[in-house]
Amino acid sequence: MAEDTEGKGAYRGFGADWAPTQLSETEARRATGWVEAKIDKRFLLTGKDRKEDVRALMWQLEREGEIVVHRVGEAQAPEMAKTLYGWDKKIPTTNLWHHKSCGQCGNIPGYPSSVLWIMNELGLTYLDETDQTSCTAWNYHGSGIGNVVSLAAVFLRNMHQAYVSAKAQGLPEGTFYPLIHCGTSFGNYKEIRGFLLHSAELRAEVKAILGKLGRLVDGKLLIPEEIVHYSEWLHVMRHRIKERQQIDVSNIRTTVHPACHVYKMVPEDVIYDDTVLNGDRVAVTTGLLQSLGTQVIDYSTWYDCCGFGFRHIIGEREFTRSYAIDRKIKVAVEEARSDVMIGHDTGCITTLDKNQWIGKAVDKVYALPVMADCQFAALTMGAHPYKLAQLHWHASPFEGLLEKMGIDWEKAKAEFETYLGEVKEGRIETLYDPKRAITSGPGHVKPPKSLQGA
Amino acid sequence: MTVHSKLPQPPVADPVSAKPVVEYETLEAIFDDIRGHPLYDHEIHGCLNCGICTATCPSAQYYDYSPREIVQLLWTENLEGIYDAMHEKIWACAQCYTCAARCPFENSPGGLVMILREVAIKHELPSVKEVLRPFSRVLLKVVSTGNQLAPNMITREAFPDWGPNVAKVDAPLMVLRKAIPMPTMHTLDTAWEVNLRTSVELYTIWEASGVLKQLEQVDENLFDVVSDVMEEKRDEWEEWLEEQEEDDDD
Repeated sequence: MAEDTEGKGAYRGFGADWAPTQLSETEARRATGWVEAKIDKRFLLTGKDRKEDVRALMWQLEREGEIVVHRVGEAQAPEMAKTLYGWDKKIPTTNLWHHKSCGQCGNIPGYPSSVLWIMNELGLTYLDETDQTSCTAWNYHGSGIGNVVSLAAVFLRNMHQAYVSAKAQGLPEGTFYPLIHCGTSFGNYKEIRGFLLHSAELRAEVKAILGKLGRLVDGKLLIPEEIVHYSEWLHVMRHRIKERQQIDVSNIRTTVHPACHVYKMVPEDVIYDDTVLNGDRVAVTTGLLQSLGTQVIDYSTWYDCCGFGFRHIIGEREFTRSYAIDRKIKVAVEEARSDVMIGHDTGCITTLDKNQWIGKAVDKVYALPVMADCQFAALTMGAHPYKLAQLHWHASPFEGLLEKMGIDWEKAKAEFETYLGEVKEGRIETLYDPKRAITSGPGHVKPPKSLQGA
Repeated sequence: MTVHSKLPQPPVADPVSAKPVVEYETLEAIFDDIRGHPLYDHEIHGCLNCGICTATCPSAQYYDYSPREIVQLLWTENLEGIYDAMHEKIWACAQCYTCAARCPFENSPGGLVMILREVAIKHELPSVKEVLRPFSRVLLKVVSTGNQLAPNMITREAFPDWGPNVAKVDAPLMVLRKAIPMPTMHTLDTAWEVNLRTSVELYTIWEASGVLKQLEQVDENLFDVVSDVMEEKRDEWEEWLEEQEEDDDD
């Protein structure tokens, strides 16, 4: 033992109280290999007991008259997917209520606009409206301001609005089903749903608040049957997207950064598929990229977070940018020789995209394009890179990627700059009728009286 | 890390004095709030000290922070250690929940950190205000609008380390926003246009769930600003409702 450690230093853990392991390089590699064989696999999550499907509790509470469940019904034309333990999850495909992400809409707007554009291309129905809050969970995880009651009340308040929103168009309640854009909201809502279903005390506190707001259904809390992330919607739609693909991307090497709050929180509700990287990796995004024909490259830090940190990206960016560059961007470029890193969450895309330029200060220049799966999918379907995918909000250098995909970005940029002149004159193109966006309060146009009773 | 170096140092015990720096009753009161948190039993079930949480923790690679230590302090009810960790270490956690995904006991060290943060705010530990100072813009935005980020918060001045390419097309921000094909996003102060009713309902949730009290403890000035903004919105909403009633009467 330790025959080849001399001059190379010992393999050490973290902290002053840790002692050198005295492992040789060979021994350390073998030990690491054993750990990776176990912990990089789905085994890590499935090798536990005490797992329950909270939906069973949800149906029981509905039978007992305690709650009302907003079902994914025929109106939403659901597709089934399998989750971690092989359970079924119903993914609605149309009549969707867009639960937007404040980080996406504020900072990377091509993210939601690509989702809506794909829905238009596929002839699907949706509502994007102004009556919604964010989940407020970025703030909670960053600052500690907030609590389980506030998070639960915000969650069910937004879910209730999704349920009743169709009335503004004279359509029945429950027509639209919520589709969650943000990974933080998705993880938070799933966790909070579990707490609500388990705690009568929490339900009573939240019910009192929502009662004041008029946000109960028949005097009961409304709970959604499934909590659905847009990446899950993309996953079940991937073959239909493939049918409309216009650009060959078989020469593109892609790496996926999966979002922690999408698959590490409430992991039993996450989609896995044995045909997607042997079922060891969460299927969303990777399955889409495989269907589109890209070369999806696995890499050694796949499991790591992006460095966002919630609080850190605001107040301690040294951590955020160091982690993003050293643990993700550098590895994707040097190890995987990736042409683009694809994500499915707000904070990750922001962190990995914006924190590359500063690498110049320490000679860590990797220049890796970063974008969301929906933006990449939209590009392959022929979406305009500036007008629709809105790539000009990204700091990472996407131009080389577009060239490799055969897209003339200079021509597209010139077209967009011309379009900005139209915008200044008030000639604005939108994905849907703007009047639909306001469902109550100032600016709302009521439906005809004949439809108001629906 | 820079912020940590500025934090108020927790009191250090005098090794030759029998008198504790913090009264035992205070430590007990803090621990009672932690243990009494509605999610505490959900987040901790035991600990073998295996350290898989720390091995996989991003913050442990950059800070003097270990999720294993947090779980051990709580599991062994080490009140002084918990108090000490609440001043600085709990703010190092990146909230990725990798620790929770990997723990064989199904503990959630990340979830425990959130409980500790909530209790640190409740007890107004001196580090809290310092740590959260850079977060005040987000707090103001989320409490008053429900959005946590707005287009006009992303500026080169606020994020100089993001470089010159925050936007790659040179045009006024509002023109770029109106060139987004979603009408709800033609805004500057919020990520999307927020319905007045939404803001008013959210304010009721903040009030009823004790969040406004938390905000007051962290930043009294911010609390005053938010209160004024929200009262104005409530008045505006009431006026609109009255107008509707008058219209219906007509």
